[in-house]
Amino acid sequence: MNNRSEQLVPHFDRLPEPEQIGQMATWLAQAGLESLELCNEAAGLKLRIRVGQATSAAASPHAPVAAQPDAGGGVVAVKTPYFGHLCLTHPQRDTAFAPLGAKVAQGDMVALVTLDSLQVPVSAPVAGTVAKVTGEAGALVGYGAVIMQIQPD
Amino acid sequence: MSETPRFNRVLIANRGEIALRIQRACRQLGLETVAVYSEADADSRHVHEADVALCIGPAAAARSYLDPDGLLLAARLTGAQAIHPGYGFLSENADFADAVEEAGLTFIGPTGASIRMMGDKITAKRAMREAGVPCVPGSDGPLPAEMDAVKAIALDVGFPVIVKASGGGGGRGMRVVERVADLAQAVTLTAKEAEQAFGNPTLYLERFMQKPRHIEIQVLCDTHGTALWLGARDCSLQRRHQKVLEEASAPGIAPETIAEIGERCAEACRRIGYRGAGTFEFLYEDGVFAFIEMNTRVQVEHPITEETTGIDIVAGQLSIAQGERLGITQADIPLRGHAIECRLNAEDPFTFMPSPGIITRWDLPGGPGIRVDTHVVAGYTVQPYYDSLIGKIISYGATREQAIARMRVALAEMKVEGVSTNIALHQDLLADPAFARGGVDIHYLERWLAQRTAS
Repeated sequence: MNNRSEQLVPHFDRLPEPEQIGQMATWLAQAGLESLELCNEAAGLKLRIRVGQATSAAASPHAPVAAQPDAGGGVVAVKTPYFGHLCLTHPQRDTAFAPLGAKVAQGDMVALVTLDSLQVPVSAPVAGTVAKVTGEAGALVGYGAVIMQIQPD
Repeated sequence: MSETPRFNRVLIANRGEIALRIQRACRQLGLETVAVYSEADADSRHVHEADVALCIGPAAAARSYLDPDGLLLAARLTGAQAIHPGYGFLSENADFADAVEEAGLTFIGPTGASIRMMGDKITAKRAMREAGVPCVPGSDGPLPAEMDAVKAIALDVGFPVIVKASGGGGGRGMRVVERVADLAQAVTLTAKEAEQAFGNPTLYLERFMQKPRHIEIQVLCDTHGTALWLGARDCSLQRRHQKVLEEASAPGIAPETIAEIGERCAEACRRIGYRGAGTFEFLYEDGVFAFIEMNTRVQVEHPITEETTGIDIVAGQLSIAQGERLGITQADIPLRGHAIECRLNAEDPFTFMPSPGIITRWDLPGGPGIRVDTHVVAGYTVQPYYDSLIGKIISYGATREQAIARMRVALAEMKVEGVSTNIALHQDLLADPAFARGGVDIHYLERWLAQRTAS
């Protein structure tokens, strides 16, 4: 992953100017993506840009799939808002975003879908408890794939 | 093949019957396929048969089959090294073709520059005229702003004329003008519509042919200077500029006439460095061919040419994209027998309203000379989001009469339940005396339908 992001972003040896960061945020918003993270461990640099697309779900081209109660047991499926590799744990940490049994609030990030250096958060459609994790970490998942079930509060 | 192939995994950026058609050609050539699909097409045949299948978006085409960035990301994630665009969707989008190649992938089609040249009707006609392809008399460029100058052009071309938007197509952005008195208003209105619909108010005008036939020439060109023409198709049976039934060859046009126009098309391809499959569309009236446009992709009706030449056009596209030589010359291409294609649509045979729903029965015809290209199986759901094409029946015979007879039986055998289809329309057309004689013009079907409604 790091090799590929170096090809895409060749010179991350110092932090970009504020205008440049603003431009990158605009590009993210235009591409319908929610966040971008740049990391240069050797230089001890890290930049994360998030744009507020998740909050304006209706206007976002990658709005989370609407919550629909599952026929069995009243659980609600968590679906991916884009295709990519499924990431169930934070890339820099060992802990899962939302393991089995975790309590989540509506809109909480429960997973990430990664495409090279880009990361698209997967949000909880309802508040509740993670009842089942069906997605496989690292797997290539399509748009609208069910990755976990939430038992609503 | 001694050289290393440029690609061995192809992403099919399309759906329906053409996605399956492309997949078959890939598999026969030993290439792996990636099916990218919308949520609505998750249960499609080519999705099940693909080496890799990836849902890339919701049913809306703008977020799936028409999303260039999504398709490129999908190609990278799935390791596809080439993209076949099929027909429709992004197949004639020059920017997409460029973006594919800029991403280091192979676009299975012509260069972005060729697509761009043919996408603009004015540059396309100019290029064709320079290459010796006959064009309809017209303004030979954008109309001037001065109305007096426009009038002078129209009088020189001869009325009736048709005013067309340079960026238009598919029957949109055009207006027929019978008399010089009506010209100014028509030009103003069409320019306004063109600006709104295509973002480009540029217009041109040409002689309006009264009862032409639609004749088209299939070409196939490699990247080593070989350009071949594969005979003619007659696609005159159209409703609202949509082809309904096509045949190859064109009834009543001498093979020498087709050979002459075919050679000019091939020569034009050599001159512009065209690569891949393409089709030159002409209006034909009183022995005169007039170039309308070139389609820079594989067409729905390509199978009838495959039947009469024995050439697999889609496999040809793939080999050309690999950089291979066609390995045949014009003399190796036989034009044998006659083929007819009936497009099966899930639609009401009288109102032509789309008829989406679950297909509960799907019995296919068969026997000598019958080919069915379809993605549909019993239990398939016809989606309301896309075009209503559910399959194509292609009949081949040593003569036109035999091809018609085989098609009649095939249509009788074809049983579809759960959705309405236009099978009955095809049966009526095959029984029509004017069709049986051959050579009806492009307005014939509309007149025939109007009469049917009236009686």
